[in-house]
Amino acid sequence: MYYFYFYRYIFLNFLFFFVNMTGVALHKILELLKKGDQDTLEKIYKENRNAFINFSKRYNISKDDAVDIYQDTIIALHENAVNGKINSLNSSISTYLFAIGKYKIFQLLRKNNTVDLNQKITIESTNEVLDVNLSNEKLTNRQKLISKNLEKIGSRCKEVLKLFYYQGYTLDEITVILNYSSKEVLKSQKSRCLKQLKKIIND
Amino acid sequence: MEKNLELIEKYFSNSLTDEEQILFNNLLKDDKAFKDEFLFLKDLKKTLSHNQKKSLKTTLQNFESDLKNEKGFHLKKWLAAASIILVLGLSYFLFSDSFNNTPEKLYAEYFEPYRNVVHPVVRGENGKTIESSAFLAYENKKYHKALNLLNSVSNNNDDCFKFYSAMCYMGLNKNLDAIDLLLPIATSESNPDSDLNYNAKANWYLGLAYLNSGDINKAISQFSFVVNNPSCSFKKEEAQEILNKLK
Repeated sequence: MYYFYFYRYIFLNFLFFFVNMTGVALHKILELLKKGDQDTLEKIYKENRNAFINFSKRYNISKDDAVDIYQDTIIALHENAVNGKINSLNSSISTYLFAIGKYKIFQLLRKNNTVDLNQKITIESTNEVLDVNLSNEKLTNRQKLISKNLEKIGSRCKEVLKLFYYQGYTLDEITVILNYSSKEVLKSQKSRCLKQLKKIIND
Repeated sequence: MEKNLELIEKYFSNSLTDEEQILFNNLLKDDKAFKDEFLFLKDLKKTLSHNQKKSLKTTLQNFESDLKNEKGFHLKKWLAAASIILVLGLSYFLFSDSFNNTPEKLYAEYFEPYRNVVHPVVRGENGKTIESSAFLAYENKKYHKALNLLNSVSNNNDDCFKFYSAMCYMGLNKNLDAIDLLLPIATSESNPDSDLNYNAKANWYLGLAYLNSGDINKAISQFSFVVNNPSCSFKKEEAQEILNKLK
């Protein structure tokens, strides 16, 4: 088991080295992020953190805000890796992180009314390039209800729904990931889960 | 409906064809049940995504506190190094006595030429005899002059003159000459009744001379002799102090 982690560690290091050199294996890293791989997430987080915090200093925001924004930036990267928006990224992960992060910093400055008109223009162009949904969305009442009742439908059901509706895997892929005997079994499982969830919500 | 549900699923996996997309849009407009189903699943997706972000945030905050702990670990290492230096520094001051107890320093601390008890200098009568001139020079720490004068005193074989000559040599840092003069006095039969009992004093100064010449072993045995010998009544306590510091 330990050997497994060791080789995994070596593999990840090579992968990141390779990405830094060429950008070729980027899709591999995005794939790992989509799968929810913790090691990859941690490596990306720790590798870019200090540079980002230093970068944020020129905008005169507090360190706590900078860390908070950096974390939201990583979350945005993760989300876009999951929904496939950055499959064909032609810049490095760091560049991408800094672009999102810069946008989020401006968002904060704009909220505090400390940003001038010139910078507003920069923000809009940045947003277009990134194609990121960065609005701070709050859950509607029905969404809150769904969230509460998701906890009641069992972990297997939750996993199936998450893989399909959030991570966007196809039924064929999920059949393999969760080791179902066939796609049809999975399909009926999924519809049972949805029925169960609706029933709890409507009761 | 089964067919329509497949359209919704294709929507979520981004795999609608152009034709299917048109069909999808029409259903969304006209079919209430289809729309409800779609909106429910959209809410579900949104909720799943929201929950995922929340748990991600927690994970990232844990990474952050990891980093803080790592920093703390570095800080601890520095603190450990600093405290070692502090301990070393403190112990230097605590034990600096023993660091400072080099023979030279001890000598400088304890050596004091024996006062002139032979020819008290009296104002107005100075320079009348060779002896008085010698002791005047001695009191003024002019040891070369004092030595010359003491040597030219006719009865300069007396312990008294030898002793003060030795004082002059010690004042001039000529310890071996001092030792040559002091040794016979120190080892001669002492006469406790005599006022001019140089034996005990010579033993003390002999120890100091050994000390200043760097012969620590002889110095130690000499001071031990001063401490232990009842006839050595001069500077017993100081001898003991030096012994303590030399150990």
